[in-house]
Amino acid sequence: MKLFERVKNTIVNNRFLVVLSVIGPGFIAGNAGNDAGGIATYSIVGAREGYGLLWALILITFALAVIQEMSSRMGVVTGKGFGDLVREQFGIRVTLAIMALFVFANLTVLIAEFAGIAASMELFGVHKHISVPISAFVVWLVVVKGNFKQVERFLIAISLIYLTYVFSGIMSNPPWKEVARQIMVPHIRLDKDYLLLFITMVGTTITPYMQFYLQSAVVDKGIRVEEYRYAKFDVYAGSFMTVFIAFFIVLSTGTILHPAGVIVDSAEHAAQALQPLAGDFASHLFAVGLLNASFLAAFVLPLATAYGLSEAFGWESGINKTFREAPQFLGFYTGFIVIGAGVILLPNAPLIKIMYLSQTINGMLLPVVLVIMLRLINDASIMGEYVNSKRMNVVAWFTVAVMIVLTVMLLVTSFVYTF
Amino acid sequence: MPFFAGDIFISDVYKHPVLDQTGEEIGKLKDITVGLGDPFPAVTTLVAVAGKQTFLISWDQVNLFNKRVISANVLRKDLQSSDPAPADILIYRDLLDKQIVDINGAKLVRVNDLRLGDVNGKMCLVAVDIGLRGFLRRLGLEVRGESFLSLFRYRLPNTLIGWHYLQPVEPKLSRLTLTISRQKASKMHPADLAEIISEVSQKERTVIFGTLDVETAAEALHELEPSVQADIIDDMSKEKASDILEQMPPDEAADVLGDLPENKAKELIGLMEKEDADEVQELLEHEEDTAGGLMTTEFLAFPPDMTVEDAIRELRLEAPDVETVYYLYILDDQERLLGVVTLKDLILARPETMIKDIMRSPVKTLSVEAEQNDVAEFISKYNLLAAPVVDENMVMRGIVTVDDVVDFLLPPASRKRRRKM
Repeated sequence: MKLFERVKNTIVNNRFLVVLSVIGPGFIAGNAGNDAGGIATYSIVGAREGYGLLWALILITFALAVIQEMSSRMGVVTGKGFGDLVREQFGIRVTLAIMALFVFANLTVLIAEFAGIAASMELFGVHKHISVPISAFVVWLVVVKGNFKQVERFLIAISLIYLTYVFSGIMSNPPWKEVARQIMVPHIRLDKDYLLLFITMVGTTITPYMQFYLQSAVVDKGIRVEEYRYAKFDVYAGSFMTVFIAFFIVLSTGTILHPAGVIVDSAEHAAQALQPLAGDFASHLFAVGLLNASFLAAFVLPLATAYGLSEAFGWESGINKTFREAPQFLGFYTGFIVIGAGVILLPNAPLIKIMYLSQTINGMLLPVVLVIMLRLINDASIMGEYVNSKRMNVVAWFTVAVMIVLTVMLLVTSFVYTF
Repeated sequence: MPFFAGDIFISDVYKHPVLDQTGEEIGKLKDITVGLGDPFPAVTTLVAVAGKQTFLISWDQVNLFNKRVISANVLRKDLQSSDPAPADILIYRDLLDKQIVDINGAKLVRVNDLRLGDVNGKMCLVAVDIGLRGFLRRLGLEVRGESFLSLFRYRLPNTLIGWHYLQPVEPKLSRLTLTISRQKASKMHPADLAEIISEVSQKERTVIFGTLDVETAAEALHELEPSVQADIIDDMSKEKASDILEQMPPDEAADVLGDLPENKAKELIGLMEKEDADEVQELLEHEEDTAGGLMTTEFLAFPPDMTVEDAIRELRLEAPDVETVYYLYILDDQERLLGVVTLKDLILARPETMIKDIMRSPVKTLSVEAEQNDVAEFISKYNLLAAPVVDENMVMRGIVTVDDVVDFLLPPASRKRRRKM
């Protein structure tokens, strides 16, 4: 009996286990930012610029951590999702406008994820008519049948598969000194190609669905204020992991494709281009990485949308709920997957147009979301003592201002491409 | 006394100018404070804003309050700028867009609009709007939305929850809770209870029913449309469902069970007490729209050789278990119907008289297979409160009471409208 008590106390008091139990939302949200579009961007960045943009990843880590931390804090302190807070504080019109953009933006991104699944599986010779319906069904089934804990563990496990990119990066045997030098003393150019790549890189790594998902998942998980410091760790770990993976993607293509002068325009193209230069294994690792990234985001996007809509309109939501308990939540989740996967199965779907459109809408949404987020997090009637400190506000406003400038620039360029 | 006409939604008056007695604008209506009256909170002040100034106008000073004009018996220049007290409940700020949850904390919907109305001459907050109509009204699209939807022959309904079904609020609350608590619900008339229950979704209904005691639930269930009844029973735990079915008159219980899938019905009958189960089982075997299907097997049966005095004593014992006590049916030892004694006959007769000497015979009877229209006509023709149902050997099987056929007797327009979702 004494032994049992001791074992029990050790487990309860073990901080490491507490950290592990809280980890999840931030980790998953961050990694989901490395989606099909993100992988494509990093592959392209490495192939075009070599190590020339690696320094920007430090900036992205910082911005991601600052923004995600605020989302997580709002969820923990208020027990409400972002959709809840917007509806309650900004009324019906603002909510409707944001949700319309949000749903449409997420739908276009989701289509891009299923396109990523289709493209990566085609590298293994599996036709999209097989890969897309099966993966869509798995995405649907896991969330509808699983409980929150199971789904979260599943998504964390998927997030760990990203480490394949670390393998490819190390396997490419980069000149580490040169890499370090380029990060420390970046050679920044101001020409159009360089800037555009930089902006796109920031834009694909920080997207509104990540903030919506993070805050809702924190609420759904029921993380309490006392556990906040662990939640913070979760967010920072997620942000670090996200950029860590991105680093190795740029490293791989930068080491192998850039010196060879191979220009790629998509993630699957990068995987193909690696094959003659670095062998089948490296190519396959890249394909698996793309499949995995698309698959993870294919979970997170419909979830973020269903959470957001349910919050804005006050419907019951939660992964633990059944169809009977939360019909709208699971209904939208299902409908979203069906539409997202369905578009890919259409012959001649205008995927490139959709990709630019998705960038445009997300670019319109992100500044609005960030400004609203800063207003909410500084509202003492909502956040109490957990409002931003003065120092944090300086950092946050600066980050948001930079993000907005970059996003508006991205918006202008993708708008030009869209129309 | 302010003059206000009918019901007003807050979104209809929000940001409308508030005028003083000379017609000068005091400010725009920004909010309304209410006092916590029971059952409806009465409006206490209007909050008008002009630039950075906030004016509170007491409801007693308000002259006109409607969609077009809001005016007060004050002068603009006499007003002092002041803020509402922190403890005040401002309905626009504190209630609009808030989450509504049921008693178990499950989220249902958000408040789209608030309805003010006349309660005993006072302007009160009477209901919250949770429907599409309120949503469109907030967006200023109510009329356009309505005419657009009418293209699809869809009538835009008002979906309101009466304020008395919500728990009292405090300032700066974060959610509104439906109060279908045990105490409040039990005090309500079952027909009223059925009304809110039919206005809420299936899920909420199940939750609400879960909180009622078995007797109240049985009565409220009785008031609902059979298909809705079946849905609710289907959602409940089997034990509770069978308890409620036991409480219901056997004919009602049989109706509900008749609408359930066969194996579910069988299972529930299996869980009921033997005696109740047998009665329901027997009723289920009859066609639903015949006398056999409409009848209840609970009636007062007496032997012919009994004194009036003994019969009255016996009646006292049996009355609680039967639906109708106005007729005493006199059966022989083979349960064949010999005659009937009305309650009036019984009370007026001398105590030592034998029952068989006062009974009316022969009795007009219905056969088990009689169609429901014929049953209704029969009851109406002979002005009965209940009609006996017998089989081919004149063995008494049950009675059909007038309330089971009243829907067929009334002209269509005045028929009791059963509530359906």
